[in-house]
Order: sequence, then C-alpha cells, then structure tokens
Amino acid sequence: MKISYNWLSEYIDHGLSPDDLADSLTMFGLEVEKTERSILSLDGVIVGHVQSVSQHPNADRLKICQVDLGNHEIVQIICGASNVAMNQRVPVATVGAKLTTENGKTLEIKKAKIRGQQSMGMICAEDELGLSDNHQGIMVLTGTSNIGESIEEYLHRERGIVSDASFDLAITPNRPDATCHMGIARDLSALLNIPPKFPDITLHADGDEAVEWIDVKIQCPDKCARYSAMIVQDVTVTDSPVWLKQRLESIGLRPVNNIVDVTNFVMFECGQPLHAFNYDQIAQKKIIVRESRAGEKFVTLDGKEHSLNDGIILICDGEQPVALGGIMGGKNSEVSNSTTNILIESAWFDTSRTRRSAKALGISTDASYRFERGVDSTLQPWAAMRAAQLIAELGGGTIVPGIVDIHPRPKPAQTIDLRISRIRKILGTKIDDFRVTQILASLGFQPKQQDTGVISCTIPAYRPDVQLEIDLIEEIVRIHGLENIGISKYSTLQLSIPLPRSEDRLREQAHSHLTGHGFREIYTNSLLPNDLAEQFSHEVLETNYPPVRTLNAASSSMATLRPSLVPGMLMVMQHNTHHSQRVLRFYEFGHLFHQSTDQATFIENYSEYDGLLLGISGPVQPENWDGNTRITDFFDLKGEVSQLLDTLRLNTLEMQFNNQASKITEYHITLYSNEIRLGAIAKLSREIQASYDLPDPVFFAEFNWTRLTLLHENAPDPTYEPVSPFPVVERDLAVSVDRSQPVAPMITALQKAGIPLLKDIKIFDVYTGNRIPKNQKSIAFALRFGTNRTLRDHEVDQFMKKFVNVLFEQFDATLRN
Amino acid sequence: MQDWRVFLFDEMDTNLETLRSIVTDLTQEIASVQLSSTSEAEEFRIKFLGQKRGLITQLFKTIPNLPKEDRRDAGQLLNALRKKAQSTLDAAKEQTRSHSTDLPEIDLTLPGRQNQWRGSRHPITLALEKITDIFHRMGFRIAKGPEIEDDWHNFTALNFPEDHPARDMQDTLFIDEGDQQKSRTLMRTHTSPVQIRMMIAGKPPFRMIAPGRVYRNETITYKSYCLFHQVEGLVIDEGITMSDLKTTIYSFACAFFGEDVKLRYRSSFFPFTEPSAELDIWWEIPEHPDGGRWMEILGSGMVHPNVLKAVGIDSERYTGYAFGMGVERPAMLHYDIKDIRIFYENDVRFLAQF
Repeated sequence: MKISYNWLSEYIDHGLSPDDLADSLTMFGLEVEKTERSILSLDGVIVGHVQSVSQHPNADRLKICQVDLGNHEIVQIICGASNVAMNQRVPVATVGAKLTTENGKTLEIKKAKIRGQQSMGMICAEDELGLSDNHQGIMVLTGTSNIGESIEEYLHRERGIVSDASFDLAITPNRPDATCHMGIARDLSALLNIPPKFPDITLHADGDEAVEWIDVKIQCPDKCARYSAMIVQDVTVTDSPVWLKQRLESIGLRPVNNIVDVTNFVMFECGQPLHAFNYDQIAQKKIIVRESRAGEKFVTLDGKEHSLNDGIILICDGEQPVALGGIMGGKNSEVSNSTTNILIESAWFDTSRTRRSAKALGISTDASYRFERGVDSTLQPWAAMRAAQLIAELGGGTIVPGIVDIHPRPKPAQTIDLRISRIRKILGTKIDDFRVTQILASLGFQPKQQDTGVISCTIPAYRPDVQLEIDLIEEIVRIHGLENIGISKYSTLQLSIPLPRSEDRLREQAHSHLTGHGFREIYTNSLLPNDLAEQFSHEVLETNYPPVRTLNAASSSMATLRPSLVPGMLMVMQHNTHHSQRVLRFYEFGHLFHQSTDQATFIENYSEYDGLLLGISGPVQPENWDGNTRITDFFDLKGEVSQLLDTLRLNTLEMQFNNQASKITEYHITLYSNEIRLGAIAKLSREIQASYDLPDPVFFAEFNWTRLTLLHENAPDPTYEPVSPFPVVERDLAVSVDRSQPVAPMITALQKAGIPLLKDIKIFDVYTGNRIPKNQKSIAFALRFGTNRTLRDHEVDQFMKKFVNVLFEQFDATLRN
Repeated sequence: MQDWRVFLFDEMDTNLETLRSIVTDLTQEIASVQLSSTSEAEEFRIKFLGQKRGLITQLFKTIPNLPKEDRRDAGQLLNALRKKAQSTLDAAKEQTRSHSTDLPEIDLTLPGRQNQWRGSRHPITLALEKITDIFHRMGFRIAKGPEIEDDWHNFTALNFPEDHPARDMQDTLFIDEGDQQKSRTLMRTHTSPVQIRMMIAGKPPFRMIAPGRVYRNETITYKSYCLFHQVEGLVIDEGITMSDLKTTIYSFACAFFGEDVKLRYRSSFFPFTEPSAELDIWWEIPEHPDGGRWMEILGSGMVHPNVLKAVGIDSERYTGYAFGMGVERPAMLHYDIKDIRIFYENDVRFLAQF
C-alpha cells in the first residue's frame, strides 16, 4: 500500500525527513519497500532568464547561452537543446546543485568546459526535474516567474505542484489499522510521543431528515454489523480540485470525479471504505443488506457480469442488488456526470465472509482488502460525515440533516489483562513499568494498573488484531524497540551434543564419494509438465503408480510432481549439450512422489521418499598427453555404483538382470535386498536420448535413498577380522565358452566349488576375436587361495582341476592353453 | 666373477694357522678395494660373499674339517671378515646410489595425469551445509519432514486462521481439496510444519533445525522460482526469552557473515510467532548511492501460544523461539549471483565454479 509523505504530515508534526520517516516506519513493523520522490531533488535549481543565444564555435548542435540568475549574476551555459531561445525563462541547475537521476544516482553540477567553452550550470528538461518523462528540449517556464527564485517556489505557485514522497508499505495482515494515513499517524504518535492532529468532525444526529430519504434494513447482522447512510443533495459532479487530485495521484490512484475521489480520499485517510450511490437510482428509497442466493447475477461497476455463489453480502434497493457489500458497487447505481443526489454508504462487513466472497469472485479491491483485515467497527458515522462534508463542499451540494445508522450488533470493547511478569518472561529484558504503561496509553489501550502486577487494557476498535496478552507484549516491544533487548554473552541453551543422524552421515559420505569420482551435483525442479511425469512413472524406475498432480499450478510446466529424478537430469544434459559441454556426470538428491493408497508415507494417498540419481554420458576420463579416452559405457556406471555402495557398506545387494528394452530404457539391472527394491541401473533408450539432442549414450542409476538409509541403519557395525599371516596363492584360469554365456553364474559356481580355500575371484580378460572360434568367447579368471596355514601347491592344483571340471560340466567350457 | 682361489680353499688341508694368515691377507685385500660403480660392487659381492662360490662363503665350509677345539676361533675370525666385507659393500652401495649418473630422462614440466574429473557440490548444498553446520555446533538437532503437507500442519497448527489474509502471504500450490475427514493437501510453503511434526512426536525441551525445499505457486522470474530452500529453527524450553533468540541469531550471523557483520532487527509479523522480528544485514555495494543496503535474511520470533496449544505444550511453563531463513538469497549475495534461475539450470560452467 502506498502512502504520501505530505498527506501523512497533515496528521502529525513528526519533524522527520522522508528518509528518516521511512526508516522509522520500517523499524517498527511498517516496512517501507520503496520510497519514491514525486519530484526529484530540486535544491540549487533556480529560475534563469536567457539573455542571448549564440552558436558554439566548435559544435554544430551546441549553443552558448548567457543566462541571468538574478542578483546581477550572469553566467555562460552551454546547452544542447534545439528549443532554447532568447528571453526564455528556464530552470537552471546551478553549480553545486545535486540532481537525482531516474535510476537513483546523484548528478552533481560542476563547472565544465564543453568543446573549449566554459559552462556554469545546466538548463534542465522536465524529466531532469522529475516532473514528467519529457526530454523534448528544455523546460520553458510560463506564467509568472521571478529571476533567481527557487524552482520549487515557482512550481508551487504556478502549477500547484509540491514536492512529495510516497512510501510503498508492506502492511502485514495483523495491522488493519495501518491501511490508512491516520492509522499510521496514530502509530507514529506513539513512537515519537507527539499527539496526532485529526480532522475535527461534528457528527449529525441519528435519524432526523435522513430517515425520510432512506430506509436501511440488515437481514444478516452477523455479516454486516453496521450500516451508516447519509445523503448529499444537489451536487454537481465534476473534476476534483488540484489538492485532491494530488493526494490521490501521490499514492498512485487515478482521479475520477469529485464524488468518487472523496470516497477514495476518506478511505485512505481513515481506513473506512465508502461507497457513493446515485441516490435517484435506489428503488423505493430502500437499502436491504442480505446474503446472495446461488445463481444470482450481478454487473459490477467495471461492467463485468458475475454469477454469484450463495453467501455473498449483497446491498439491494427495493428491487434488486445495487452493490457487492465490501467489494464493489454496481453498474446500475453508479455515480455519473448527471447525478445530483448522493447516497453515502459507510458500513462494516465481516472479515472472513468478505475474504471468501472476494476470492470466489476473483475480485480484490481497496475496499475488500480493508474489510478482510478488519475495519474499525466504530468509525462508520465519522467516515460518512467526513465524506458528506467534503462532497457538499466540492460539489456545491447540501447535506441532508441526520444519519441513518443501523447498528444491530454493537461489539463491546474487549479488555485484556497483561501480567507484568509475563513481559520479562517473554522478552528477557526488564522494561520499566512506567514505560510499559506509557507505551500502552500512547497506542490507545487505556492501561489501568492493578495492584496485583496486572495491567488491564481496553482494546480500541481499530485494533481488532489484538486479542491476547502476547499481542500486547508485541506492541510494547515494537514501540520500545527491538534494539533495546539485550544480547547475552552466554548461551542459555542446555548442554547437549547431538550426533549427526545416520541419514545425514550417509548422505555426506555419498557426497564426498561422488564428487571425488567426478560427479557434479545438480538441483532440478520438483515440478514437471504432466506428460513428462507420466512418461517417467515407469516400473523400471521406482513405480508405475500414477504421479501426483497439482490443482492450481501457475504454469502447465509445473503441473505434476516428479516421480523420478531422470527427466530433470535429461533437461540438464540437454542444456549443457546445447552449450558445447560433452562431459556429463551428474548426481542429485531429491524428494520423489507418487500416488499410493498402500504405501502412503506422511500424507494419506501420497508416497514421498528421498531419491538419489547418478547419470553419465560422454568421455569416461579426461584426455591426457599419453593416451586417448573413450566414451562411457554401462560398465563404467555399474562400477561407479558398486564402489559407491561399497563406500556406504551396502555392497550386499542382489541384482536382477534385464536385457529387455522398455519404453525408457534399452536394458537395466534392478537392485534388491531381501526382495525390497532399492533402485536400478539402466541405459536410456536411444529414442529419448535423441529427443534430448544428446550425442552419446546415457546411463543412469536411480535409488530409493530412504530405503538404502534404512538398510544401512539396520546393518551391523563391522567387526575386525584378523589379517592372515600366511601367504596367498594366486592362479589364473582361462576358458572358452559359448558367446551368450553370462559370466555371473560361472563365478557363483566357482565360488561354491572353491569352498573353503578360494578367497577371491576376479575376471581380468574377456576376449572375442580371431584367436578363438567365432561363437566362443574367452574368459580369464584370477583366483586367490588362502587359509590359516601355508598352502601346498598340490592342494591348489586339486582345486584347479575341480574348477575345470565344474566349468566344463555346467557351462561346456574348455580350458585354453 | 668368482675368484680362482676358491679351488684352493676347496682342497685345502686346513689348520687354524693357515686360516688365520688367509684371513689377514683377505682383510688387507678388502680394505684396499675401491668400489666406484654398481657393477664393481656386484663383482665384489660375488667374489667374497657369493652364496655359491664366494671366497668367505667357501672358507666357512672348511670349518667342519678343523679340529674341534679350533672351530670356535675360526668361526669368530671368519665372522669378523664377513662383517668387514659386508660393510665395505654396503658403504659402496650407498655411495653409488647417491652418485649415480645413469638416470632416465624426465620432463617434470609435463602436466600431471588426471584419471578423473573434479566433481562438485551444488552451491545450494554448500550454503545449506554451512548453515546447518553452524547450528549443529550450537547443539541443534537436524530434523526433516515431507514436502507434501496437509493444511493443518502447514497453516492451521501454525496459527493461520481459516479465511485469514495471512494465508495470502504465501502463494500456495494445492494437491487436493480434501473433504470432511481429511485436511486439504498442498506443497509446504515453508519448513515450519516440521516444527509441528517434531513437537507432536516428542516432549520439550526442543532444539532443532529443519532444512528443506519449499514451494510457492509463482511464475518463474529472475528473482523468484516456484521453489526454494529454507532452514527452520526451533527452541522450546523453560525460561527461553527473546533475548536468547537475539543471542543465538547474533552468534549465527557472526559465524555465517563474519564477526564484523552489521545487522538490525525489525518488528514484523508471522502468524506463528509473537513478538516477531526480521533480521536485516547490511550488505556493502560500492556503486550504491548509500554504499550498500539492508538485506532481509531471516524471520524470527517467540513461538505463539496458539502454536504451543495446537501441539499440546503448556505455554505458561514453556516458551521458545523459532526462526527461518531462505538459503538461495544469502547464497546469491555471497556468490554474487543475480538470477535465481541459474541455480536450477545447472550449467556445467556454473557448477564448476564451486
């Protein structure tokens, strides 16, 4: 919300500059997000008289002007504007003047030599003075101007322009009282201890002649607690005077006519939203306040037709609705240029009902903004009278004596007891009792000190947000100043040394491991376009459960929660490919989501867990001076995964191999432990690879990190196994088998046959080629034997014979060499 | 090369006297030897100490032929000789090692071989780790919670009344509307619901921080993204005051921004804390007309009694404070990043700088 410095200054002699005022407001809870000067700094800018203009000898576009600045001071100024001419009166920024440019920088005017000619100032254009955006030549002053007088004086006298500042305030939802100039002045008066000066209004008596003009009935008193109506007759609807226009323009409002402008002015003055009806359009001189029925239609001031839900507060005349209460007036009773009699509505509407209605209608107005937060429930007659007086004054009308003030449910003022001991218990600082009482009084809480260490406060109607003792404590500290709460040298925290959670420790290990292995961590969006989320809700990954959709995403690109980290990574790979990066090695930790009735985690119907993704594509190693690199393949990733799991002590997972292509993969391995699925290692399908413009094959491994963590937590800590002092015996064994024979079952068979002496088995070569038959491949195993004594050669020889037999019988393998 | 004398020793009809004179001769011979290369040293070794036909080795083999009473003396003589030969050999080896001239050529200026690229943590992880690390050292436990939340944990329990404008402070992304039995489901708009979950699950005192991802239903621009990261803090105990809050936050700010940090607390409003305060730090910007500006870093306050009530904690006995800060904003300040979207674009040239 915007407020104006000059306007605010009418209600309090605060004595602060705009910058200091902005600072004070910010510090006590009314944050100034932006300060704007309606006229930029004009110190040192005065009226000059152009005595002569001649061509600059060294520049076609520049002119040399002799300018009279008054007091017999005539200076030479170089000017580039084409419209400068003799005998003009112009604004001159004299040497030493500081102009504020549009982007907030300060431009100091200095003596200068321009192409060899001295220049003692600057003749200004309108934009340089902050008067408009106009930079079409210099500003030529019209009307009366006195040589040497300050430009501010001139502008004020001739154009009625006063320099002002506006503040953009971020009003927090608990401060309905601060949505107007008087409210802010009231707050400032508490802070500065200076009394405010509010307009003196004499209220009309309840009833009187007004009753004959209008009859008001409230059918929903819990939604509309008060309705005050006044009438001004015989007005002329016309433009507002300059002062009123300026007030409204200073806070960014567009002046409309004297009637509408007054209602806006009063709202921004005292916080009470008003509505002005064309009285002659109000059928049967009746106002009825009721709730809408579903399906009713209504056309608002802006010409839009709304089909209403039930429960919206409607202001009706004797025949039809004429306004949406607290939100917007109707087209049918709008004030036009020909309107002569005005009905002023000043009412109180329920906060949550206004909010719900405005939300349902999709309308937010200055009025609804204030009713939603809570308007002072005692203010209605004051605001009506203030508006009536101004309308009568500016529109040449007369106020119909009396006010119709229907007030079915007056709210008694609330009182709250504040325990003095509680203040210290919350703040940790002792504030003097006298100071506490003074602050409360200055904020209008009428504190009454009781003997029992309790201050009893009466809550003014403009502070409906203050409902609890803690609210009063906040008010005290807000005015007392947070900076006056001391910082202790010592911590009062109990001694406690929390160890990192095992999940955090495990994650830290994974981070260190993966970054050490050349992976770069990425952060991708958890929100995906729906089709992408559907595509990767796949059983190769965690699940083929449906993904979780959002109801109201601001963009369709964030319609659905990610079921997998893969699509995010592919977009990252694509981006980097488009920027000529070929080395693509990424990892990401992040939450994954899917719908689930049986596996719901925290919230019914939804499953959410931590995922970890590794993805690689491109060269496997940096290129060095003595060798070539190659493109990453599946076994590079499989190896990375085994090493990672080894680091995390999770190397006992079972693998299920799947050579079948799926919609998203060419082949994959699924990882399990005790039939619980933990993740998959896969090669991305070529179609998807191509659709992301990726030149090299893409391999990824996605894990359910939540389950891995649980598995890790349940695993026993390792215990030391003494290292054998006896030497190991190493043997190699190379066999030929059918080309399609997988190697894993052969290893299993050898391990089984090697009990108890075979300690380790590795494959050191897999060969296909000219030296062996076409349909065969050669596999070379490196075997290590050992036990708790020195082995003899013949013992190992027996095992080697057994191995050859086993491989021959089970896999039709023949010994090579 | 073996010495021809071994054949003599082979056939020698030994007595102690002969042996003694041979040892004397050999001792002199060894003392006069000059060994200046590896090959000479090897020759010497074979000649005197060779396993098969070395002169000294061969002399040892004659001991059994001596009269019994002389064997012990002979052994001592020969051992001394062997020791002498061995030390001569060791000294020569030591010398040739340091004086060796036949080294292979090596270009030490070639770059070291790199078998792996350097990986990197994302700057958001770095910032999150830095923040959580500081609080962890102050004894805060780390807690985490779900990103899909229900209305009750995200709003109601945190003292956001239904139909209250406070709910507009955060643009909420909804998942489902719920029904009579079930609260509405949404993407959490802050990490504060983790406070609620922790307080319901445990008993005071509490001292925890909750880092995590939060969502806002906003279109993506250079200064706002539809999600960001937060760290939430909560302390509940007997006798906790706003002064303690300021002390903790000040200690944090000194650790995070440096001991010379300039900061200010502003009165503010959050539904779940009261009194509430925002922390600004002064950020120097040399080109700024004021030399810098205040930057909002953290929101905080004393836990609202209604929140304690919602989780069944007696607010007369226990008081506490809570605070929350964004992670992206200080990271952007720290690394001079102007566009928040860069964090989520993951350009390798960006990632490689961390």
